[in-house]
Amino acid sequence: MHRLNLSDTRHLVSRTALGQEWAGVKALEGKTRAEAVSILLHSGKVHTPGIPATAHWSKLDRMRSNNGYGKHNALMQMNRDNKSMKAWMVKHLLSTRTPVNERMTLFWSNHFTSSLDGVEHPRLIYKQNKFLRDNAMGSFAGMLKGIIKDPAMLVYLDANKNIKGKVNENFARELLELFTLGRGHVYKEADIRAAASAFTGWGADLHRGTFKFDASKHENKPVTFLGVRNITNGNQIVDVLLNHHRTAEFIAEKVWREFISDNYHDRRYTQRWAKVFRSSNYSIKVLMLEVLNSDAFWDARYRGNMIKSPIDLVIGTLRILPFAKLPYDDLAHTLELLGQDPLNPPTVKGWAGGKNWINTQTMLVRTSFLNKITRYSGSTNAHLSRRLPKTTGMNVVNWLSPVTPVLPLPTTPGKLRLVRALVLDPTYQLK
Amino acid sequence: MNRRDFLKYASLTPLAGMIPSVLANNPHNAKILLLVELKGGNDGLNTLIPEHQQAYYDARPKLNLGLKNKNNKLRITKNLELEKGFYLNPYLKELKPVWDQGDMAWIQGVGYPDADRSHFYSIDVWNTADPLVRNTNGWLTKKGLLPSEANTLNGIVIGDDNMGPFAGKNGHAVAMQSPRTFLRQTKYLNRKRYKPQNDSLAHLLSTQNQINSAADLLQTKLHQAPRHSTRFPNSSFGRDLQQVSNLITSGVHLPVFKVTLAGFDTHAGQVDGHNNLLYHLGGGLRAFQKSMTAAGLWDNVLVMTYSEFGRRVAENSSMGTDHGSASAHFVLGGRVNKGIHGKEPSFENLDNGDLIPTVDFRQMYATIAQRWWRRPNPWAREGYKPLHFV
Repeated sequence: MHRLNLSDTRHLVSRTALGQEWAGVKALEGKTRAEAVSILLHSGKVHTPGIPATAHWSKLDRMRSNNGYGKHNALMQMNRDNKSMKAWMVKHLLSTRTPVNERMTLFWSNHFTSSLDGVEHPRLIYKQNKFLRDNAMGSFAGMLKGIIKDPAMLVYLDANKNIKGKVNENFARELLELFTLGRGHVYKEADIRAAASAFTGWGADLHRGTFKFDASKHENKPVTFLGVRNITNGNQIVDVLLNHHRTAEFIAEKVWREFISDNYHDRRYTQRWAKVFRSSNYSIKVLMLEVLNSDAFWDARYRGNMIKSPIDLVIGTLRILPFAKLPYDDLAHTLELLGQDPLNPPTVKGWAGGKNWINTQTMLVRTSFLNKITRYSGSTNAHLSRRLPKTTGMNVVNWLSPVTPVLPLPTTPGKLRLVRALVLDPTYQLK
Repeated sequence: MNRRDFLKYASLTPLAGMIPSVLANNPHNAKILLLVELKGGNDGLNTLIPEHQQAYYDARPKLNLGLKNKNNKLRITKNLELEKGFYLNPYLKELKPVWDQGDMAWIQGVGYPDADRSHFYSIDVWNTADPLVRNTNGWLTKKGLLPSEANTLNGIVIGDDNMGPFAGKNGHAVAMQSPRTFLRQTKYLNRKRYKPQNDSLAHLLSTQNQINSAADLLQTKLHQAPRHSTRFPNSSFGRDLQQVSNLITSGVHLPVFKVTLAGFDTHAGQVDGHNNLLYHLGGGLRAFQKSMTAAGLWDNVLVMTYSEFGRRVAENSSMGTDHGSASAHFVLGGRVNKGIHGKEPSFENLDNGDLIPTVDFRQMYATIAQRWWRRPNPWAREGYKPLHFV
């Protein structure tokens, strides 16, 4: 039975957690794949810290409906609230004890996308974020059934505007295109219209911050959706979607792009994963066990071939190395400059990721950030060095670099000097 | 720049340098576009004022700047009339001489069908030239529009960090607060070449090379920059334009520069705020025009304003205007065809209180592609034809 070495465990942890913490990487060394994956996925109790002080939606709404000045004040208040939410998120990412579950939460947030800017109700985003975290390793079917009644999602996708006689297709379109079936030849425009009709009257009660069904705004006429007749409401639409083989395939393909390679996917694997996923009644844990135990995940050609997201880079680095942390606000701002504004994805499709993370601007910010945090003076040197793993230089290289560094390593001894060189090497941008 | 020059321009190898030598040596061939983003949604109706429209007065009893509004000291005056009942906002009067000399054109009714009223979404529409925002690639990265070789530099964004029009793999642009800050930041970037082991690393390497070449270019050019005498307004917008002007007069003749003036989201107490913004806009661009003229480059630049949307026709109850749809924009430059282009949007037939666009914003882009850069129009198949403002 093949036993994992340090490079293997580094690969596993850096792809599935928030940075490859030394203790975690070390603990899995010498285990088999199956043992390591099972330990990794055995998450502790998932916890969402309490919401920071933010204005209640009823207050924001009152201000907004007031007049121009009210709108202006509401906007100012919301900007402050958004800032606290982002700082809250950064703090949580840095301190969470369930980084694998958190990585999955980030994955689902980028699948069931809503943004602070798009929803304009920070508390609803908090609620959604907690929901996704609680279900990140649970059932995809349950998550889908919850998200179609999630107030932030309903606001984000204009569900409140989807009413009898005046159908707004936004929500239905994204449900099919982004959440379940994916673009392709599976559904027609008529299916989108049918789904939109079934969802008329669904919306959010902004005063309570809850799901609301308004029967007077519901079309209540049977439609045919993906060949299934007599559909009258949204729950039935979701049942049809969960019965469709493309839903599991679409998720499996997305999982491939998140955890294996963002270039293309190997259908031999994704088809199998989809089958297992569907027959487990959409258990995310079962899917992830299948993915992380697959030969594809461990294949040498996919190792170190992905670009770290800003969260991988900023949060990951600060979680695994003893460098001084910047204030949460500053880190949130750095993430924004790097193109991953916390809780605020740019479009309904979420962050495109991969090579899109790198442009001339973000590359300069990445470099200055890593330079800034790894700069140290003589007096802190000893202190930082003491907090680095007590191991050989070779192990440090294997721990921090996914592929062989491309720049020469320092010839003068010193672990901190070595760490800084590895962090500033272009290969550190990879995972 | 003729087609042959452009082909030469486009076929440069990375080692031959960032700026095509043909442009650097013959500044009169350069065709530079300066994009001016008016962030927040500029109120077109109070920028190019439709004095002849009674409906304008009716919709804006307090906010109109018309001649008949005796209560408003800030109203337009007779000498600001451009054409048949259209007047220039008084705070843009610095640009009146530019109009008089034939170097300004207005395009009215610019927008897109079923406009989205969200700032973020709508600016993405403008950036990507796609009302559905199917991906985030900027309109300047459309195939064949600008050189796409790995090591070319197509543009510099000054001030604001929104590189939207350049977004995507073939954007080849750099954003900077100022060239000086940029040069300071690039100091930390690796300069050594290396052999990439996979395509992600290759992408990192090519981005790194692009930044370093841009830094080398700016270092050399700014080192030999001629002193110039035009005074720019001492505002951040004025300073940004001065940076662009310095770059161009130093010989950095890139196809695109971009600056941003923010604050146009005038929901309340619009009059002073909007006037102030237009004052900065007019003063800054007038200085830019003078500087380019003095350098003999005014025929080589085209300035174009744009904004995510216009504002609602009717004023709101707090002396402001809410998010709208179509709006008027202007272009400046020595080769510009003076006039008010496009059809005036109807005041009778509104869409939820907003002007219905008469010119699609992609026609602006098509004009730049076909009539300024002499490139095939990437939006021809979708039916967006160029206008004749240049």
